[in-house]
Amino acid sequence: MNEWFADVAYKFQIAFLDGDRWKLYISGLGVTLQISLFAAILGVAIGIVVALMKLSVKKDGSRSLWSVIAQIYIDVIRGTPSVLQLLIMWFIVMKGSKNGVLVAVLTFGINSGAYVSEIMRAGIQAVDHGQMEAGRSLGLSKGQTMRYIILPQAIKNVLPPIGNEFIVLLKETAIVGYVSLSDLTRTASQVSSRTFEAFMPLIGAAVVYFIIIKILSKLIELLERRLRKGDHR
Amino acid sequence: MKKAAALLLTVTMAMAFVGCGNTAEDANTKNTDNESNAENVSDTEDLQGDLEGDGPLVDGVLNVGTNAEFPPFEFVGDDGEPDGFDMALIKAIGEKMGVDVVVENMEFDSLVASIGSKIDVAIAGMTVTEERKNAVDFSDDYYEAVQYVIVSADSEIASAKDLEGKTIGVQLGTTGDFIVEEIEGATAAQYNKAVDAVNDLRNGRVDAVIIDKNPAQVFGEQFKDEVKLYDGESADFGFEKEFYAIALPKGDEELAKSINDALAELKEDGTFDELVTQYIEN
Repeated sequence: MNEWFADVAYKFQIAFLDGDRWKLYISGLGVTLQISLFAAILGVAIGIVVALMKLSVKKDGSRSLWSVIAQIYIDVIRGTPSVLQLLIMWFIVMKGSKNGVLVAVLTFGINSGAYVSEIMRAGIQAVDHGQMEAGRSLGLSKGQTMRYIILPQAIKNVLPPIGNEFIVLLKETAIVGYVSLSDLTRTASQVSSRTFEAFMPLIGAAVVYFIIIKILSKLIELLERRLRKGDHR
Repeated sequence: MKKAAALLLTVTMAMAFVGCGNTAEDANTKNTDNESNAENVSDTEDLQGDLEGDGPLVDGVLNVGTNAEFPPFEFVGDDGEPDGFDMALIKAIGEKMGVDVVVENMEFDSLVASIGSKIDVAIAGMTVTEERKNAVDFSDDYYEAVQYVIVSADSEIASAKDLEGKTIGVQLGTTGDFIVEEIEGATAAQYNKAVDAVNDLRNGRVDAVIIDKNPAQVFGEQFKDEVKLYDGESADFGFEKEFYAIALPKGDEELAKSINDALAELKEDGTFDELVTQYIEN
């Protein structure tokens, strides 16, 4: 038993303490969070715009050109693996860019935008049609009604699936190691390629992801509760 | 309900077969004919047993790990199977030892850590280093490893001094990766594949790429208008001389001896030189 503990302690030491390796994990975590945060912001921005584009109609009620463009964007992004999107952005579209994090943020932002847009559309369509009619009858324009009446309610509706999307996004950034960025997952590989010991780095990285996501879901839960305050009158 | 249960059972069993598929194809073919559940279960257990415990000398199957991204030593052939000098060599060694060779293609940086669990030995143009010797044993070496430095055709880098402070592309966990650690102020950009590092050299994201001689020459030929090569052993760079060997489980002297004997025999009877001509010098 003692031997077992000594072995675990040794593995822990080479995985995290020797050569200050824990600093590598911290900087890897920094890259992961940086990419996730900015990609999430970009994704929500794209998502709202694309959802509104997709819902837009011509005067006669038929599909507008905007709606068709939005549909094509959603189809292309959802129809291809994100690893491929990353490689295409890295080696083809932005091959001149030396800022790797920027390339990753754009890739994941554009990717996430497609999923967020469908979530937003569901949220908007879940708001009762009477709300739009009421807003219009009070003299608000279509845009104003959307902005001040429909969207605030829609955002409250979509918080749970949006939280889901953020979590998926954060974990999906683990593929940036493919293009030589040192995120948290890649850091674990780097350390195990030095120590030839896979257990501690992998479990360590997994625990860090778990903690970060637990915190994230707690925050979303708090926000949800805050937004529900007005519901019980 | 019964139908659903039967379907579920079928799927589960089918998955059990697939899971063991790589290790023992013979046993698998037998299994498909089996009708009783009990027999299937016991066969599955046997197969798992040989993955975890018994070495190749006991079960007659040598599980070999490689990373087929390293031409001409190993690459994925037109038939989708790993091919190349190392593959031909390990198959010849297996023949001499009288065991079946089953090749597993995986990431280079996880090869050493997988020896003794997922695989028995690894052959992947792997250089013998002190760091690796802490985790595994090595067979006798079979090829001299020379590191090459690839830079773009108009680059001013011409010596080890010029590499200081630069961004250098490498394949994760390879000798080049370790060399960059020793260069002052240099940052390693670590890729899964050497070809990705070379592509980013062409894109201007890295200033140089350090990889082994033979793949470097393949890339140098491929992009001869865009890149130029330097011999890492030349006086300008002065990297240390190193050798390729097969990585073996630590302390398994019996296996080491039989592999070394087979290797020596192949060198003696000329098979080894034939393979060198066939794969490397062409």
